[in-house]
Order: sequence, then structure tokens, then C-alpha cells
Amino acid sequence: MNIIFSVIREDTFWKILLFIHFLFAVGLLAAVTLQAATVLMPARQMAGTYIDRGPVPTASYAPLVVTLYLLQLLMGSLIYIKYRTYVRIPMEELRYFWTVGSFEFKEHVAAMGLGLLPAYWYFWQQPSSTEYANVRRWVTVFLAVTVWYAFVVGHVVNNFRGVGS
Amino acid sequence: MTQTLDVGERFSPLDSSHTIGSPASTTRTSAKFGTFSITFGIAFPLLYTVYERLNWPLITFHPVLGVVDFWRQPAGVGPPMFWYGWITLAIPTALVVALAATLIAEQWLRRGTVFCCALAVLWPSALAGLRIFIVDWATFDADFLNSEWVAAIPAFVAAAVITYYVPARLAERVWTSWLLIAPIGGLIVLGYSLLQPWFLR
Repeated sequence: MNIIFSVIREDTFWKILLFIHFLFAVGLLAAVTLQAATVLMPARQMAGTYIDRGPVPTASYAPLVVTLYLLQLLMGSLIYIKYRTYVRIPMEELRYFWTVGSFEFKEHVAAMGLGLLPAYWYFWQQPSSTEYANVRRWVTVFLAVTVWYAFVVGHVVNNFRGVGS
Repeated sequence: MTQTLDVGERFSPLDSSHTIGSPASTTRTSAKFGTFSITFGIAFPLLYTVYERLNWPLITFHPVLGVVDFWRQPAGVGPPMFWYGWITLAIPTALVVALAATLIAEQWLRRGTVFCCALAVLWPSALAGLRIFIVDWATFDADFLNSEWVAAIPAFVAAAVITYYVPARLAERVWTSWLLIAPIGGLIVLGYSLLQPWFLR
């Protein structure tokens, strides 16, 4: 870290990291939301054998979602160090207890999503399998909910003390 | 003339390579990975919740000093961080459980999952029940009952009874459902634990 801080200022480094975290979050949010929306809205079979296919190739999103989720978790874990000392302590002093509690819950939500990633990956390796169609759908939706929750809470905390605050 | 189809039944160029013409060994490997990943997905949230509630972190990180200590350590200079420790303990233990799951027969795996999930609910419930009994009902000095090991006895017995009476077909049918029940249940427990310190403060 000292090598990095000799090149750029410490607060600039954390702000750059936070901004990259935000950019990846937007990408992850888009991918997993599109996938979740698609699995919740089944394709329609029109007259005859023609099937009205949705515009989103859901299966191909799975590797992207897994990669971005892991990247985000790693980056979040790194930024969490700064949050614990630089953000949470003043937040507690100013009695922003709901924000602190929501962020505490975000840690658990992100962890639960991490645990589901191998199964999520497995289910999307066989997108045509009907055996796991239902659980694949709800695991995808659960992941989408975890990402949305993490995004919203992260954004609120950033507004307290982060990029542009 | 319009019917709905499950999304899994769509035509996709990605589908065929995985389902048609796969050799038997590939199918077996895929099935093993399926067992591994689903078991990991059930075991991880349960173990993470247990480690968080018992506060058993593998490591403690002290952000002010930038120091990592083994197991749970008290606050030194600045606050200690345990979250990394719960994650780093939950991952290897869930991996061990998931690897073990690939080695045992499927029917035992399903029953074992029911047993572990029932135990995860019954153990803390038994402890809470004992504490209520000690405070509100006991007419003698029942403090010796206030122990997680005493609560373990009825919890293990009840989980074993439930596992014995759950039909094999039901255990098989709900097996993948634990993938959602475990993390949602874990989040309810963890969220409840945050009410007093933060949300009702």
C-alpha cells in the first residue's frame, strides 16, 4: 500500500477504488437483473412450433455474473477496511444507526450470495434442463435481490462519506 | 394458441453441447459437481450463520494496525473486524461438507441434509426454550440448564426423529429447495440479531 500511496494521495486511491467498485456494480446489476427478469417472464410458444424467444441469451450471462460478483466481493472486502475506520465510526457518532445496521446486513447478504454461486453456475451450465428449472429461476432471482440490496445500501453509505459526498 | 414455456426449455445454441452426445464419464462428473455445488450452497449459509452467531472467526483483522490475528481477538488499537474470519472459516468447512457429500449415497445425502437443517433450527430453539424455562418456569436453581450442550441433547433427538419420519421421496423432492431456505433462514436470523443494536436503538 505504501508504494501506491507514494504515487497518489491516499484518499484519491480509495475514491478511485470506490468508483471502480461502482462501475462493476452497475455492470453486475444490469447482467443479473436482465437474467432475473428473463427467467421470470417465460418465452411464449406462438402458433405451431414457433417460439417467441426473448432478446436476452440468459445462459451466457452466468459466467459474467459469477466473475463480476467475485470481483465485487473482493473489491468490497478491500474497501470495507476503509469503511470500518473512516466511515462507520463517524456514522455511529452522528447516530446514523439505520445506515450502519443496513450495511451490517449487507455483509451477510453478500456472503449468502457468495455461497450460492457454485450452484448458480452449475444450473446455468445446463440451461435446457427441466430438472432444475424452478430452482435455477429462484436462485437467479435471489442473487439479483442480493445485488440490488448491496447496490442500494452501498450507494447510501457512499453518499454519507464517499465519492462526491 | 399462445402457451407459456419454461425458460429452461428455450432453444439456445448453448444448450446442445451440454446435453446431447455427452460421454458417460462427463455426465457422472457433472452430476458430482451438481451434488458438490448444491451441498455447498446449503452448507455455506448454515455454517456462516452459526459462526456469526457464535462469533467464531478464523481470523481477526485490526484495520488500524493492518494486522491479522488467528481466531477471535479482542479490540486492540481501533475496532476488530470479524467478517473476514467468518467467511474464511465458512468457505473451507462448507467445502469439506460438499466434498463429503460427493462420496456418500444420494439417499443418505438427502436425509443428512434434512437432519442438519432440522438441527440448525432446533438447536437454537431448544436453547431459547431452556432460557425461557429457567427465567419464567423453573422452581429450582436451573442455571445448569443454560448451556448449548444441554440444549444439544433434545435438539439432536428431535432432528433424528424428524429425519426418520420424513419420507424419502419428500426429502429428495425438497433437497434443492434448501438452497433457498438456508440463506433466507440465515438472513432472517442475522437480520433479527441486528434489530436491537441498530434498528431499534
